[in-house]
Amino acid sequence: MSDVTNSDTTSHLGEAAEPGETMIELQELTKRFPGQEAPAVDRLSLKIPKGEIVVFVGPSGCGKTTSLKMINRIIEPSSGHIIIDNEDVTTIDPNQLRRRIGYVIQQIGLFPHMRIGDNVATVPNLLGWDKERTRERVDELLDVVGLDPRTYRERFPRELSGGQRQRVGVARALAADPPVLLMDEPFGAIDPITRNRLQNEFLRLQGELQKTIAFVTHDIDEAIKMGDRIAILQEGAKLAQFATPEEILTNPANEFVQDFVGTGATLKRLKLTRVREVELTDDALTGREDEDRETLRRRLAESDWTAMLLLDREERPIRWLRTPDLRQQQRPLTEAGLPARAIVEPQATLSDALEEMLLGSAGVAIVTDGRGRFQGLLDVDDIILAIQTMRDTEAEFYRAAKLSDPDDEVSA
Amino acid sequence: MSSTLTPPDAQEVARRTQARDEDAALGRRARRARIVHYLGMPLFLLAVLLALYLWVQGQELDSIEARTITLGTLLSQTRQHITLTLYSTVVVLLLAVPLGIFATRPGTRRFAPAIIGLGNAGQAIPSLGLLALLYYLFRTQPALPSTGTFPVVVGLVAYSFLPILRNTMVGLEQVDRFVLEAGKGMGMSQRRVLRRIELPLAVPVILAGVRTALVLNVGTAALAFLFGGGGLGQTIFSGFQLRRNVVLVTGAVLVAVLALLVDYLAGLIEEKLTPKGL
Ligand SMILES: Nc1ncnc2c1ncn2[C@@H]1O[C@H](COP(=O)(O)OP(=O)(O)OP(=O)(O)O)[C@@H](O)[C@H]1O
Ligand SMILES: [Mg+2]
Repeated sequence: MSDVTNSDTTSHLGEAAEPGETMIELQELTKRFPGQEAPAVDRLSLKIPKGEIVVFVGPSGCGKTTSLKMINRIIEPSSGHIIIDNEDVTTIDPNQLRRRIGYVIQQIGLFPHMRIGDNVATVPNLLGWDKERTRERVDELLDVVGLDPRTYRERFPRELSGGQRQRVGVARALAADPPVLLMDEPFGAIDPITRNRLQNEFLRLQGELQKTIAFVTHDIDEAIKMGDRIAILQEGAKLAQFATPEEILTNPANEFVQDFVGTGATLKRLKLTRVREVELTDDALTGREDEDRETLRRRLAESDWTAMLLLDREERPIRWLRTPDLRQQQRPLTEAGLPARAIVEPQATLSDALEEMLLGSAGVAIVTDGRGRFQGLLDVDDIILAIQTMRDTEAEFYRAAKLSDPDDEVSA
Repeated sequence: MSSTLTPPDAQEVARRTQARDEDAALGRRARRARIVHYLGMPLFLLAVLLALYLWVQGQELDSIEARTITLGTLLSQTRQHITLTLYSTVVVLLLAVPLGIFATRPGTRRFAPAIIGLGNAGQAIPSLGLLALLYYLFRTQPALPSTGTFPVVVGLVAYSFLPILRNTMVGLEQVDRFVLEAGKGMGMSQRRVLRRIELPLAVPVILAGVRTALVLNVGTAALAFLFGGGGLGQTIFSGFQLRRNVVLVTGAVLVAVLALLVDYLAGLIEEKLTPKGL
């Protein structure tokens, strides 16, 4: 039993969790482009466990894209082997191989002359699915990526926004339910707000789909957010470190990794902890909009709370009410007090929650489920506590970070 | 109480009504624009023909003129002219499009300069010179028919080869490489990528080349009569030779009308065949 606790703690501390079954294995994978002296990818060996997202991250030109494209042989390796699901695919028919691998690129590459539905149906059509099955699958997938099939199926790509196109790109890659996905900076060309939303949606989706994913980015923050494991690559796709995000933030293997991760590691770690992983204040005082004003007032007076959270009929938070707001009769309850701000979902990170609080000038974030129903409160103290815990367990690392960046003192 | 409920509904209704009105207004305007777009050119050409007819009617025609400008002659020359134009354009399409594809495939791309050189040569030589050259060539080869449609079509083909070839190559090469990569990355074979993605996306550019070739051919076919190929050039040349301006103008206007009509029809086809999403 103590063993279990132990391994739990270490995994929390960032020790690489024992990898499960391997889905993709790269063996000494090498690419030399003609006319170039140094190989773009030099003997890269790596195992990607089933159901995990492995992020390739590194400076521009280090060979991330080349490495990724060798997995579906858009770029043919000069030497080395690619093993997928225990099968050496280095020399099999590339078209057969690619139909088993979803592929999403930054430029998306939707077919501009085909309707969205036909774009998504590309691989099912290649595999010869019948019309009915393809159609159902297309609708299902558009739904999954948050696009109403009735609205979007018959549209052309140019009639969609960038974010919507990227969703279609993801739907198209998932169409034939491939076990493996390759994604090259899929959210790279999108504005930060949409990118954040797409990242969150994709993580939620991945929670259900459990695909094995190789994901390329040059943004360490995105790597930390998306990756179960991160491969930090150096010039020539040399593996500088291959570990979980926690491990990389806590124990950078060398100076290169340390530089690449940059400063503010503590704040970055806030991005690793999700709201659902910390204990919420779930005994918060709530009232419903259809309740009587007087009942609410008495309830508030009898409690230790200075304000109560008003929920609508669907239990979605709408207003914060204090005693004076409940006394005065003129305004309807739905306009009294202060609007409920800083609303986050359980899969948001502590960093997201903190940001929401700062944006909403609120000392507390309201946590709701996917339907917007109230679940509990997250106090700024809870977040500080979380930071504290990290700090205690990694006091040394924290001090190093603090010394290297005086700005951190302010934020910590 | 109902007042708290109605505003959104009322607003929604108002919004929808307004949107519908706007749609209708847009629709009306678009329809009017379309009518002008589709009927403008044919009406204009009809007007030109009518004006030509009235003008010729108003002239005192001498016997030579009256003999040259008969409806029968003009119609048969127009038919010859159209036949020459269509034949040569179809032949060019059959030659230049496959060659254009060939010249843009990864394996055979290295032949592109040679192929373009061929097209350039065809067009660089002045059309009259080219036709004369071919005529001479055909005359000296007893195996080949030296007069009639055949040498003229060969000349027209050589002359209008370049626009279709070049546009096929440009059309194929302007296709976004990431669109191709996506197709390839999903396991489409090279042939399928060509058929399903590259060619449809190149169609507008290829058709623009076809349109250019057609118009070029209408113009060049006016020289066909010199080599026994007939066409409206005959009327123009008669007018010139016989110093009969009525004849000359009639022939010239008819060729111009034909060129504009062909351009117009090719434009319609281009519009029709251009994939919707572009
Ligand atoms: N098709 C190619 N031909 C020749 N050299 C190439 C080709 N593609 C990539 N390279 C070279 O290989 C190296 C790695 O390129 P790669 O595209 O994999 O980098 P990357 O890590 O994806 O960079 P970025 O973050 O800028 O996308 C670079 O030096 C690049 O110039
Ligand atoms: Mg790249």
